[in-house]
Amino acid sequence: MKKIIAYFRHKLSVRVSLWVVFFAAIIFNVALGFLFYQAREAVRQEAVSRATQILDKTSLRVEGILNRVEVASNMTKWLVLRHSEQADSMFVYSRGLLLNNPDFYNCSIAFEPYYFKDKGRYFSAYTKHDGDSIRTIQGGSDSYQYFFADWYLMPQLLEKPCWTEPYMDLDVATNTSEMVTSYCQTLTDNQGQLIGVINISLSLNWLSQTISAVKPYPNSYSIMIGRGGTYFVHPDTTKITRQTIFTHTLEQPDTALTALGYAMQHGEEGMKHMNIGSKDSYVFYKPLGQTGCSMAIVCPESDIFSGFDRLRRTIMTIVTVGLLLMLYLFIRIITRELKPLHRLAKEAEAIASGKFDAPLPDFQRVDEIGQLSHSFGNMQQSLVKYIEELKNTTSQKASIERDLRIASAIQMGMLPEKFPTRDDRDDVQLFASLTPAKEVGGDLFDFYFRDEKLFFCIGDVSGKGVPASLFMAVTRSTFRTVSAHESMPDRIVTIMNKTIADMNKNHMFVTLFVGVLDLPTGRLRYCNAGHDAPLLVGAGVGELPCDSNIPVGFMPTWKYSLQEAHIFTGTTIFLFTDGLTEAMDAESALFQMERVNDVATQALSQQQQEPRQLIARMTEAVHQFVGDAEQSDDLTMMAIQYIKQQSDVRMRKSLVLSCDLQEVPRLNDFVEEVCQTVGFEELVTMQVKVAVEEAVVNVMKYAYPPGQHGDVTIEAASNDVRLKFTIIDSGKPFDPTVQAEVDTTLSANQRNIGGLGIHIMRQNMDSINYERMDNLNVLTLRKKIILNS
Amino acid sequence: MKKHKVYLFLFIAMVATSHTLSAQDETIVFTPQWTAQAQFAGYYVAEAKGFYREAGVKVRIEHPSATQPAISRLSQNQCQATTLQLCQALEIVDGGIPLVNILQTSMNNAMVIVSARGKDPLMQKGAKVGIWSVGFGQLAICMSIKDHLDYEWIRFAQNVNLFVAGALDATLAMSYNEYYQLVQAGIQMTDKNVYRFCDHGYNVQEDGVYMTRDYYVQHKEQARRFAQASRKGWEWAAQHPDETLDIVMQYVDKNHIATNRVMQRLMLKEVLRLQVDRESKKREFRLRPDMVRQASRLMVENQMLSREITYEELSN
Repeated sequence: MKKIIAYFRHKLSVRVSLWVVFFAAIIFNVALGFLFYQAREAVRQEAVSRATQILDKTSLRVEGILNRVEVASNMTKWLVLRHSEQADSMFVYSRGLLLNNPDFYNCSIAFEPYYFKDKGRYFSAYTKHDGDSIRTIQGGSDSYQYFFADWYLMPQLLEKPCWTEPYMDLDVATNTSEMVTSYCQTLTDNQGQLIGVINISLSLNWLSQTISAVKPYPNSYSIMIGRGGTYFVHPDTTKITRQTIFTHTLEQPDTALTALGYAMQHGEEGMKHMNIGSKDSYVFYKPLGQTGCSMAIVCPESDIFSGFDRLRRTIMTIVTVGLLLMLYLFIRIITRELKPLHRLAKEAEAIASGKFDAPLPDFQRVDEIGQLSHSFGNMQQSLVKYIEELKNTTSQKASIERDLRIASAIQMGMLPEKFPTRDDRDDVQLFASLTPAKEVGGDLFDFYFRDEKLFFCIGDVSGKGVPASLFMAVTRSTFRTVSAHESMPDRIVTIMNKTIADMNKNHMFVTLFVGVLDLPTGRLRYCNAGHDAPLLVGAGVGELPCDSNIPVGFMPTWKYSLQEAHIFTGTTIFLFTDGLTEAMDAESALFQMERVNDVATQALSQQQQEPRQLIARMTEAVHQFVGDAEQSDDLTMMAIQYIKQQSDVRMRKSLVLSCDLQEVPRLNDFVEEVCQTVGFEELVTMQVKVAVEEAVVNVMKYAYPPGQHGDVTIEAASNDVRLKFTIIDSGKPFDPTVQAEVDTTLSANQRNIGGLGIHIMRQNMDSINYERMDNLNVLTLRKKIILNS
Repeated sequence: MKKHKVYLFLFIAMVATSHTLSAQDETIVFTPQWTAQAQFAGYYVAEAKGFYREAGVKVRIEHPSATQPAISRLSQNQCQATTLQLCQALEIVDGGIPLVNILQTSMNNAMVIVSARGKDPLMQKGAKVGIWSVGFGQLAICMSIKDHLDYEWIRFAQNVNLFVAGALDATLAMSYNEYYQLVQAGIQMTDKNVYRFCDHGYNVQEDGVYMTRDYYVQHKEQARRFAQASRKGWEWAAQHPDETLDIVMQYVDKNHIATNRVMQRLMLKEVLRLQVDRESKKREFRLRPDMVRQASRLMVENQMLSREITYEELSN
């Protein structure tokens, strides 16, 4: 079976031919079915008409004779009643009747008991054919008491002339019997008293022969039944007079036969379709005059429709052979017509295997196959051209990809690679990751330490790919340049915005978060330019409040706001780009801020808020969510944990001086005293004195306008690790830490004015820090305590 | 003297032996009261299976003809035994011909009145009712008088044609014969249009085998053997209905009777059913004195008999 199906699947010609023949067969069947139905109906009507004619003809013949009997009976009755007192005349009338009607079987003129006194109980003038002669006798006797015969009783009881049910008439003289039916009518006197009955019998032989001879079809036959359903004519002679039409139904109920029996008994005329003797047959029936008998013609359906069936078989054979021939021819024709396609298919195979220049056959045809061949040729040419173009494009693409890989490496190289950990610093640890969606991306992050401040930023350039990566590079270098001279994030962002906006011809922009974390105090100053607010993961998880600033690059005049927060020891600042919250899974669902919060909360609950751990957990959560879906956007995360532990203050002293250089000796004494207190050796004490003096003198000289009195406060504090001097003044804001240092490699004449002071301070102290707080300049100088062993 | 006595004894013995021998050699001609049919299956079986021969009795079955009914054959000594219905037998005895019942086969009455469809025979006062011209209808006449139905009795020869032709309002029928003929003629039987005499206090036995008393007295042993073999025939028929039907059909075909196997099967079944006594549920093969008394008194009451005929008058 599978082989046959496979054969059909590979043979278009067979499939098409089968379909055509199949539909043709359906059309033929429908058309022929209708034709056969109509023809069969016509044949059936013809059979009905034929049988009806035969029945009518037979019935007419029978009725002709019956009428003669009835007329003869009436005439004899008239004669008998005219001479009813002359018994012997009855013999003459009886004999005369038979003489005049030789086809009658017998005749009786029978009288009531003792009607003729001299004739005794019985008197019946009975005449019958006896060979060629006619015999007339007195018919009644003790052994034949005609008073009880049907023919004598029936007209009396029915009170009208009638035909009896056929019966066997026994001729005692010759001991012969004959099946007869009798027409009988009563004789009454003037007073209406019954005096006798006239009976004229007809032999059923001629009727049987007439009816049996009716044979419209070879296997058809006729039957005749009486009032009681008894068969009087039947092809099975054993049934005649012995069985009725109902006999068979007594043991095997047959509703159709029973219905036919009743219809014939009731003198109905018609036709029935029924099964007789396991053959479907049509039965046509009609009563025979007034005899009470009914005849039927049984025509087997196979006979009626034999000619029709022969015709149908012939037509069906022709159609079947025709369809098979049609199938064969179609397959041959379609195979021949499709042959060029085979060649074309082979050539296409050659082309498919790489021989693009394989020659195509020239069919010289204008039909669909010719068009297909022509199109194929065009396609071949186009294919060769396209393949050539593809080669060029592929090599160009490979070159671009190589460039992109280099660009990616450069971009990654811009980003800090070394992240401070707890092992490196005691105040902060940090980790960041950037995963671009394409080879190069538009996300950026950066950080560096200056003095005791951590400068950091995170940003997301609009768009992706190479343009975004270039914009990111510009942003990152601008951040580095600007923050080298500015410590306040708002200022840094404002300057960056102006710089970038001025050269932004392509209307790109970058969302940016810039923060400066003062490491000794944990104070965070930050400015957010349209970026996602960072999370703080410490005592709990919460967003860092951010003002609504526009991204960098739009408006060069925008004034960005500064915000501050205090970061407690152990708290991690988690910064990220929208590649995290908008990471998409296969169904385009977003990761969303809720999940970021959940991951952070879980990490916190498991004490895993250290930068590497937090970013690892967040990365894993994103990967799990995204699954196999393609990364839709650059993903950047940065985590900064403040870990500075505050030491106990061992010593605290302060000195307030007026801004007068005369006060410098007091300062030096104060510094020396402090250094001695913490136990510095002399050289270190000297370095500290030089640095503090430089800072205080700088304030005394420049903090206040000339003529304005001002104070400067020097506070000294120490713990187990460091000694800290804090110089506070209320003069004009001045951040010495952002001043360019003097190039000490140059000679004194070549150096720019200024910058030496800050240089001295940096050289002699471990760290310098400037803060502008509450309209005060706060400069902090720190020196590690290294005691003499 | 002694010798004379011996001679006398030998003579008597010789005469007696010769008489006995001649009596045994005599053939009993048995005439059933109707044409060949399953009503007489037991006798056909006894003849066909050789039960008569085994019993040492010669029997020849001769059916009545149209010109010679059974009773006239018996009275003219053309036959020595015949079947009669009990009421017929009573009439004949009352008419002066003493009869002996040698075997009673029927234990129940089979007569019914069938009226046209949907009509109750008891509601048809004065109706024209068919009755056999040869008798059999005594109980019906009694019932007509007793129940004041005043039926007009139409005597017919032997078939159901008059009723089927619609010439009669009702007709008498035997449940084993005419009843099935009517069914076969397409007449539909219901509980309403069929009146069964046995269910209305007229359950009088019917068929039995009778001989004239004169003949019987001279041939008691033959009569006994004939009766025994006939009974055996009936018992065999009850046990082998299909084979019995085959035998019946042989007799039917031989006598050219216009009937068929279906009718004879139904008739045999019904006749065998009627042979089972309602009370004992057995085939008793005996004349019941109570039924003889009932029939006799009914017929006397209706002037069908001049005197009551007793069971003893019929018994052997």
